[in-house]
Amino acid sequence: MSTLHLLVQPRDGEPFRHEVQGEAAVLGRSSKADVVLADRYLSRQHARLVLREGSWFLEDLGSRNTTFLNDRPLAQPMPVRPGDVIRLAESRITVTEPGGDMPSPAVGDGLTGGTDERLPESTIFRPASELLAASVAAGESGGLAARMRLINEVHRALAAPITLEALLDLILDRVFVQLQPEEGAVFLRDEKGELKRAAIRRARGITGEPLYSRRLAQEVTEKGVAALVTDASADERFAKAESIVFSGVRSLLAAPLLDSEGCLGMVVLSAKSRLHPFQEDDLELLMALASAAAMRLRNIALAEETARRRLLDRELELARDIQMAMLPKAFPHLGGIDVSAALRPARTVGGDLYDVMADGERVWLLVGDVSGKGVGAALFMAVTKTLFRAIAPGSASVAEAASRMNRELARDNERAMFVTAFAARLDVATGELEYVNAGHNPTYRLEAAGAVAPLPGPVDPALGAVEVHEYRSTRLRLARGDAVLLYTDGVIEARSAAAEAVETLGLAAGEAAEEFHTLRLESYLKSCRGETAERIVQGLLERLDEFVGDAPQYDDVTILALRWLGPR
Amino acid sequence: MEIGEEKADGALVIAPVGRVDSVSSGELERHVVARLDAGARRVVIDMAGVEYISSAGLRVLLVAAKRLKPPVGALVLCGLGPSVRTVLELAGFTSLFTIEPARAQALARIEATSAS
Repeated sequence: MSTLHLLVQPRDGEPFRHEVQGEAAVLGRSSKADVVLADRYLSRQHARLVLREGSWFLEDLGSRNTTFLNDRPLAQPMPVRPGDVIRLAESRITVTEPGGDMPSPAVGDGLTGGTDERLPESTIFRPASELLAASVAAGESGGLAARMRLINEVHRALAAPITLEALLDLILDRVFVQLQPEEGAVFLRDEKGELKRAAIRRARGITGEPLYSRRLAQEVTEKGVAALVTDASADERFAKAESIVFSGVRSLLAAPLLDSEGCLGMVVLSAKSRLHPFQEDDLELLMALASAAAMRLRNIALAEETARRRLLDRELELARDIQMAMLPKAFPHLGGIDVSAALRPARTVGGDLYDVMADGERVWLLVGDVSGKGVGAALFMAVTKTLFRAIAPGSASVAEAASRMNRELARDNERAMFVTAFAARLDVATGELEYVNAGHNPTYRLEAAGAVAPLPGPVDPALGAVEVHEYRSTRLRLARGDAVLLYTDGVIEARSAAAEAVETLGLAAGEAAEEFHTLRLESYLKSCRGETAERIVQGLLERLDEFVGDAPQYDDVTILALRWLGPR
Repeated sequence: MEIGEEKADGALVIAPVGRVDSVSSGELERHVVARLDAGARRVVIDMAGVEYISSAGLRVLLVAAKRLKPPVGALVLCGLGPSVRTVLELAGFTSLFTIEPARAQALARIEATSAS
């Protein structure tokens, strides 16, 4: 044979037939290829068919995505023969026999033809509801008794836990026993609502890939009707329309998988044999089976969704545990200081962080808030915390530590994540406090004498925002008994239930008035004179709870208090 | 959130309207990135219609600034209301952006930048 017959199914185009004559044919995306395939994932010249000593060979032309022959990657030129399937990226080419005897392979979803295609006149459509009522009314009478038993049996089997695969198997098992089709297939809607073949079964000796009419599938699944096509080949148009079903089908039966919420797909059976043409009774039985299966299908889909969500929840819980474990619970027993801190994430994982770290006679402090929320913020938080631990102790000043951390965080930071941070270092021997404000809320100083005021100093950009920035630090001396309070904006931006209600109703409201706000924070801090660090933190959390009421927590909340008790 | 657009003198003006928070910032980011991918190099982001911006929104502005760093491109912000300006100041970002009061000045600034 010197002519090779191909059925070409490009990813981005309509299927077509092609005959390769001559000695070779290049397959690819290029318009100069002999067989041009519309598939953006293809190489320009992807593969080649070559005639050698009377046989056709397939070889890959060093394509990006390689070439597959019958689902195996092609390592060397391999001979091809009718029935072989060549896959290039997302396109398929099937080698067929000359002429029309070879059944057309399924195009991805196992459906073919357009939705405007006309169906044979012999087609009978019956509304699903009518069929279901009929099969119930038939009861145990006449020849239907056996069929009713079958349906009961299926209902019983479906009561037990079952996987999707087992359910599809069960459906096909039963229809093969009862209706003796030559072939049966189940189509299910995917998450985009498109029908995809989920299972197929054939009687012995039946080969080839059948295609079912897209038009028929649309009728059945969108209108919720069951269809019986009898002796289809007798219909002139149908016999010619190869795409409706594979050639030679005499009889075809299709039922929607319907439940109360809609259509999940369809079951379709076909038979060539004239010995068992399908009857309208068969339609009733198939419909009854399909509706029993449909109820169960919906449950399985829900159960799978729940299982997936549960798995994700478990992963997030684990991430939360890891994240919380990164935060110090106990603080260095340094003497000379009293420290306490708390962090409450608004979601399972969050982007807030704090740290307290001893460094000889000094103590480093850090409170930060990563831009955004969720897992991305949590990962950036972990990186920030790790960098702080690695960089701070070796740094000559807080400004140097901040500049170095910024450089690391900004490197290859295409997503422009950043972390606002307040970093400080206290010399426990002298009470000298050096600090950097990288785009963060001002830290408060609670003087032993009673005054409460934000710490002065410049605000530099949040860490990670620009590649290179020289951060500026401010130094001041704490008096014995002075405390500092570091926090994130989750504190001052906490919203009351009233504010949430206002927002939900879409009414205008002074945002400041509905937030906890710095005014409430300052007034609370003034009441903290002489309190322990732990009391300061816990007291603030209590005030927040009181203010927020039933409103869901909107942002992570972090509070860190440190009091300098004087030289050790 | 609505996102307005205007093409003027070879510059693209992007004008988000509403709150740019952790929910809507994703939409603004996709919009801005799509324009940058399509080749926009001289961009004005007019914030006159923005009543609130969160840190997630600031991140979108930073993404644009990174990709439009001179001499490759030019980015000018304008129309910053008091609350937006405060958020920018608090994050220490005012020095990172070229900021003009209104769209006309912003376009003139872009013009001057590309002329030099």
